[in-house]
Amino acid sequence: MLMLPELMVIATAFAVLLLDVLVPEKRRVVLAPIALAGLALAFFALLATPQDGELLGGRFALDVVTWWFKLLFLLAGFITVLISLDLLDGRVRVRARGIGFRGEYYTILLFTISGMLYLISARDLITLYVSLELCTMPLFLLAAWRRDDLKSGEAGLKYVIYGAFASAFLLYGLSFVYGLTGEMRLDALARQLQGGAPPLLWLAAALIVAGAGFKVTMVPFHMWAADVYEGAPIPVTAYLSVASKAAGLALMFQMFYRVFGPWLHEWSDLIAVFAAVTMTLGNVVAIVQNNIKRFMAFSAISQAGYTILGFLGPLDTGIPAMIFYLLVYIVTNLAVFACIVWYSNETGREQIQDYRGLAQTNPVIALMMMLGLFSLAGIPPLSGFVGKFFLFSVCAGAGYHWLVAVAAINSTVSLYYYLRVVRQMYIEPPEENAPRLTASPTLATTMAALTVGVVLLGIVPVFYETIHGQTITWLAALAQ
Amino acid sequence: MGLVSWLIAVPFLTMLGVVATPANRSHWIRWISAVGCGIQLALTALLTWRYWIVASADFEAMNTATLTQLHFVERVPWFESLGIQYFVGVDGISVAMVILTSIIIFTGVLASWYVDIRTKEFFSLLLLLVTGVFGVFLSFDLFLFFMFYELAVLPMYLLIGVWGTGPKEYSAMKLTLMLLAGSAFVLVGFFALYHASGLHTFDLQQLAQADYPRALQRWVFPMIFVGFGVIGALYPLHTWSPDGHSSAPTAVSMLHAGVLMKLGGYGALRIAVYLLPEGAKMWGLFFMALATINILYGSFGAIMQRDLKYFTAYSSVSHCGFVLFGVAALNIMAFKGAVLQMFSHGIMTGLFFGLIGMVYGRTHTRIIPEMGGLGKVMPWLATSFYIAGLASLGLPGLSGFVAETHVFLGGFFGNEWASPWATGTLTLIATMSIVVTAVYVLRGLALVFQGPITNEHFEHLDDAKLPERLSTGLLLATLFFVGLMPWFFIQLTESSLMPLLNRLHEVPVVASLH
Repeated sequence: MLMLPELMVIATAFAVLLLDVLVPEKRRVVLAPIALAGLALAFFALLATPQDGELLGGRFALDVVTWWFKLLFLLAGFITVLISLDLLDGRVRVRARGIGFRGEYYTILLFTISGMLYLISARDLITLYVSLELCTMPLFLLAAWRRDDLKSGEAGLKYVIYGAFASAFLLYGLSFVYGLTGEMRLDALARQLQGGAPPLLWLAAALIVAGAGFKVTMVPFHMWAADVYEGAPIPVTAYLSVASKAAGLALMFQMFYRVFGPWLHEWSDLIAVFAAVTMTLGNVVAIVQNNIKRFMAFSAISQAGYTILGFLGPLDTGIPAMIFYLLVYIVTNLAVFACIVWYSNETGREQIQDYRGLAQTNPVIALMMMLGLFSLAGIPPLSGFVGKFFLFSVCAGAGYHWLVAVAAINSTVSLYYYLRVVRQMYIEPPEENAPRLTASPTLATTMAALTVGVVLLGIVPVFYETIHGQTITWLAALAQ
Repeated sequence: MGLVSWLIAVPFLTMLGVVATPANRSHWIRWISAVGCGIQLALTALLTWRYWIVASADFEAMNTATLTQLHFVERVPWFESLGIQYFVGVDGISVAMVILTSIIIFTGVLASWYVDIRTKEFFSLLLLLVTGVFGVFLSFDLFLFFMFYELAVLPMYLLIGVWGTGPKEYSAMKLTLMLLAGSAFVLVGFFALYHASGLHTFDLQQLAQADYPRALQRWVFPMIFVGFGVIGALYPLHTWSPDGHSSAPTAVSMLHAGVLMKLGGYGALRIAVYLLPEGAKMWGLFFMALATINILYGSFGAIMQRDLKYFTAYSSVSHCGFVLFGVAALNIMAFKGAVLQMFSHGIMTGLFFGLIGMVYGRTHTRIIPEMGGLGKVMPWLATSFYIAGLASLGLPGLSGFVAETHVFLGGFFGNEWASPWATGTLTLIATMSIVVTAVYVLRGLALVFQGPITNEHFEHLDDAKLPERLSTGLLLATLFFVGLMPWFFIQLTESSLMPLLNRLHEVPVVASLH
């Protein structure tokens, strides 16, 4: 029962793969709805699963944090399928070359989702590492999806090489941990390490940070992001920018809370520096970007810097703030990406200047994109503001007032480049005879729903309060 | 939903009404906005009247328990785990600021009657902005306060960027970024207070019960004061103001100089001084000195300007200096002066920018040397301009005089935490600005309105039309009202300033009233 969501995702992946072979080309439009249905079923199965329990002799377990991470992964996957299907089914005005092979696309996507679901549930080093690879490897394929496009190929290749390095670092770190303790299970490791940290553990932790930092795009392990984001098809970029980061955070959570928990406070200074550098570099470099995908890549890097602020505080405030921010970030970033996907589907363009005058040709979509960007910049009353507010509060509570200042100033800097897009859409006049563009019903609904999410998450307290309440209860149960 | 919530809801609902109207019905859009702001004005009158009754009853009974309290309070828990609530209410200072905002937005809508490019977006953004402003003046929870504060600043970007003139994109970006960078400092301060108090609440009144360590106050006070100082045009962070004001369309300049800049003084008084009295004592003299530079720098700057809007913007920098000067002087007289000056300058500068818009709409130039003799063809506008100018240089009988007198007297009284020589000298220097102000106001106005008509195109220009007369008339009446009956505003705000003083002197509320 506990593993039902994962099994459903994997079953859907195989079902899509088989149907892809059996169904004639014309009918393959059913593949996307099947993938969606599978994810929806997995979602309901997750809602039905209890928030604690274990399987396979404790190698696979659920708790509150695990449960919420899974919810986020499924949400990100579901929305990604929604924004991909127009492109893959060819319902676009400007066809990108080399897009197709729907069945494989959805199958691979579903496999990475299942990898993430296992990653956060894993309770021993082997399962953890294998599920991380299950989540990462398919992404290499997705990045290189536009087969005839050199940039896409370059993206795939860069991703493989960097990814392999990161994996090697991580594995090296994990092997040190194993060598020092002789244990595989995370809880046993934590118990072993309770006594004191041997110096070699610091090296192991540093290697693990490098591995996880690659996924989270923490500076200085962010180098791959811009090129890969630019080359990959836009829905894949969208997915990478949210889900891959969430997976990295899940990995960090697994290692740093579950294994190195007792020394977390010794790491705080380091995490604070990483966060400060990550958000600053992401923001400063984003200013000079002209391609909207590269732009979003650096924006995503800076957002990663904010997210890791959650690791600074005590569990009872840090965890809820981080999970809530991830939720907000997934909804907001995908809302922006949905607009970018739509624009690229309709016009085939992806430079920031191309968005010129959008507010006059398509006012509603321009408004949705603006709300998304403002939420990313942390403007109230949108959800991005509330999410950042909670994270900053955690950070200030831990005594890092300088970091709050850095983060808040960074929000202002980020506003500068988000406003560049807003300026193109609202202030610049449209091109002569620019046509009014249309949106397919699916994409229009998705954009609208995500925008509603962007607004509601900031105003309705129930989401945050639920996460917070459940975390408190879980921690209280742990303490007993 | 109580009266105070309605004051936030009405502009917002009006905005929704505008958004729901088809974009090509620009006439409906104007009327919806005007009616909405008219209702807001009526609600404000109701609020003032009801507040007056409650407060004067307290005052007569010397009911010390309720005299300094908030009225019409509404509280709804929001993000409970962090102690964030929807907490609105009013005291005398808020009422004064709400009156100011209602008048300015009403006249601002009238002044934008002839905006015909993307009318719908213009009015929606204007109303969104003003929703934020009302929210700031009415909320007493720091989270809510901050939320409304940013909501009030951001629409400015598009309002200036789309409908502005001159280097509008540059000005819009500069203004937005500087103001939001200021708010970033404020946010850091808020978090420091939240965690230092240990109360797990953002409730302003509860936070004011806590004692903050001196070491904390030493750095948090300047952080918050400077953060608010940016929007209050504190020297040397005022540079966004001349550019922003001169690029903005008329109604936006009115709102911005008239109301938004007051958020700075309001926040500095209400939050920085109220929560951090020790910090205020340590830094008071320093900020008084900065404000003195403001006052002089602004007025000397105004002399040199050739563009009417830059001229008024520099004069605003100088007048906003009085507000911050009053706040930093830390005594009751100066506080009263600061609040009066916020109100008076808001009305005055709103009138200035409104009139400049009307003149510009006719002459299509704002360059002072290119104009001349306009008083002959537009007597109504010229007279209004002169009255506003006289209020600005502090002529008795108009609002500016009352406010500046209070500020200067407060400055001379000084306070027990700064050397009287220092405060006295600063005040003496600041008073010299009166002369400079007289020079630039009279000289500027004479160049524009008097003498022979320099340009033959100007001979056929018409005077103010009905909506324009209505809006200037309302603003002029307010100027005279404050000038001739200052006791109204003094009594309105005085009791609400007591908690600030009590916190400075660390005496319980009861003792201070006798």
